[in-house]
Amino acid sequence: MSGLPAEIKTSTHHGMTHMRYAFVRFERWCQALAAVLLLSICGPALAHGERNQEPFLRFRTAHFFDMKWNTTKLAVNGDLIVTGKFRLFEDWPTSLPKPDVAFLGNGTPGPVLARVESYINGVPAMLSSELVLDRDYEFKTVMKGRLPGRHHVHPMINARGAGPLLGPGNWVEITGDAKDFKLPVTTIDGTKIDNLETWGVSTVFSWHALWFAAALVFMLWWLRKPLLMTRYRAVDEGKEHLLVTKGDRIWGTAFLVGTLVLVIGGANWAESKYPRTVPLQAGQSRVEPLPMDNRSVRVKVVRASYDVPGRSMKIKVEIKNEGTSPVRVGEFLTANLRFVNKGLPAAVAGVDSLFPKDLVPPSGLKLDNDLPIAPGETRVVLLDATDAAWELERLTAMINDPDNRVGGLIFFYDAEGKRQISNVSGPILPVFTKPI
Amino acid sequence: MANIEYVEIYGVKWSKWAAVLSRRFDFIVAPILFLAVVAAFHLHFMLLAGDWDFWVDWKDRQWWVTLTPIVAITFPAALHYVFWEKLRLPIGATFAVVCLIFGIWITRIFAFNIWSYFPYSMVWPAMLIPGAILLDVVLLLTGNFFLTAIFGGIGFALLFYPSNYPMLAAYHLPVEVMGTVASVADYIGYAFTRTATPEYLRMIERGTLRTFGGHSAWVASAFSAFVCSLTYIAWWYFGMFMTKVITVPNKVKHLLGMPGTAPVAEARPGLAAS
Repeated sequence: MSGLPAEIKTSTHHGMTHMRYAFVRFERWCQALAAVLLLSICGPALAHGERNQEPFLRFRTAHFFDMKWNTTKLAVNGDLIVTGKFRLFEDWPTSLPKPDVAFLGNGTPGPVLARVESYINGVPAMLSSELVLDRDYEFKTVMKGRLPGRHHVHPMINARGAGPLLGPGNWVEITGDAKDFKLPVTTIDGTKIDNLETWGVSTVFSWHALWFAAALVFMLWWLRKPLLMTRYRAVDEGKEHLLVTKGDRIWGTAFLVGTLVLVIGGANWAESKYPRTVPLQAGQSRVEPLPMDNRSVRVKVVRASYDVPGRSMKIKVEIKNEGTSPVRVGEFLTANLRFVNKGLPAAVAGVDSLFPKDLVPPSGLKLDNDLPIAPGETRVVLLDATDAAWELERLTAMINDPDNRVGGLIFFYDAEGKRQISNVSGPILPVFTKPI
Repeated sequence: MANIEYVEIYGVKWSKWAAVLSRRFDFIVAPILFLAVVAAFHLHFMLLAGDWDFWVDWKDRQWWVTLTPIVAITFPAALHYVFWEKLRLPIGATFAVVCLIFGIWITRIFAFNIWSYFPYSMVWPAMLIPGAILLDVVLLLTGNFFLTAIFGGIGFALLFYPSNYPMLAAYHLPVEVMGTVASVADYIGYAFTRTATPEYLRMIERGTLRTFGGHSAWVASAFSAFVCSLTYIAWWYFGMFMTKVITVPNKVKHLLGMPGTAPVAEARPGLAAS
């Protein structure tokens, strides 16, 4: 400071030296910049942490296929219909309980859509049900747009003890005004409810306001008088008989009588207004799986590896065609990723136009021998599923799994485009340096 | 020396200035106490009553009716000790419950509705004030914590269901959903998705009280009343414990040989002798 010109050392700005003032201004700019930066990086949560689920959960629990969304853009109150099938994998992890009690949910960022219907194999899925391993189920969920925005929507199977098992997520855009949302319903006794969002709310607010007011009046009787130190000293000096008077007791008794009258009167009013009520429903529905499909192609893993730097899964499988017509490998599906054999038109046609593109790796599925496998033939084929999607979907964490197995579905097609689906599962070896 | 004016409050002589100060102290401490009880009781209630109070489709005739009064009588009982024994103020229960419901409404508005989009029809909180008033008045009239535990505890639980029924009844109207019967509350819980809360997680009445002629709520209330009486006693003593100032001699300093620290025998002769 000694080398600074005298006017800088002595002149002031709001009582501060110029140097000090400049420093304060710099500090404030830094704070503002930090706040802006913080706000810019703190966006809302958009998806549901599906990539955080351990790979073994995604490889070997629920495999969703034939997924269809009727639209990816709808207005508030518009319908979003998600349909598809899922297979509960045969090689279910031993660390997870079997899906004895399971529920069809929808993975959304909160109630941005209202679910109005859901079915598993045509059975209403409002309640949970028992599902069977290695069997297929067809589902349908109908939702109504509620909150405008761009939302990630998944189908989901919740299995008790195993947690949520997410299907493929699609981005859905809802337009319009949230205030226009309505979910009307008519009760069995004919009461028309305009909107379930607001049903009964005014009654709740009224009763809460009434009881809050009553409580305040009850307390103010005591709070209006000298309170803490004065009462404490009176108790301390043995004058507590002066703290509660006969008038206080009469007041309390009257208040209690009023309270009881209000409670009993309120309950009777509700009873007479709504004479027919039912308790919460808590049963369990029964769902039969789809009829067992024709699985005439057997698949056995010979050797599977995952090349970490190359982001490549290679599975050498022994395929035995026990059917009556030649088949070709059309698709390898695991963890909602669909590696499609682009040389097979029937397989390519199996991907719905609205299916999320990020789950269909562009490199597809490569085979070392793509010729049809004749009936009765057994052939060893190398499936090559190479794509950055393994990394993006955070499936490379499989190398950290204590139960290091891969699982998925292989879709086979015959010449007429008829499909059959086989399970494939087996141990997988990590490769850290070069592909096999 | 100036003449000091005195006033008598509750039979105790106060200087006028001290009386004014004591009233100012009331106005300072009361809001602090209010916020402290809001925070502590709300946290306690969220952890123990949790989903039963959060969601309309968890407000059943068995678990909700049983658990909520048991969990909610705790702080009122503890504050009863403090307010009654130290101040002869019979508003401990009402004060605690008002704090609780105030805190709950803040979270229902900001966390559940504005932040997480759940409609109020799904997340309205239970009403506990009538039971709290009853608890306070029983203490006021009897002046006895044991009688309050018996009659107040029972009344606190028995008043819970009828106090809430005027709000709850509309949500138990039957509706047809996909060809099955459900209550309006069931359908609200189904429609407004809680992503990580599948249906099977609901701990609600599943028909285990059918032998009581379907009067599940009153059977549950009776059991809750019994437990409420016991809980009241336990938390009255907890309130007593929390108002005691307990010190223990710092033996560590002495054991470390720090200068100026007395051995236990000197600091607490009675303790050392025992």
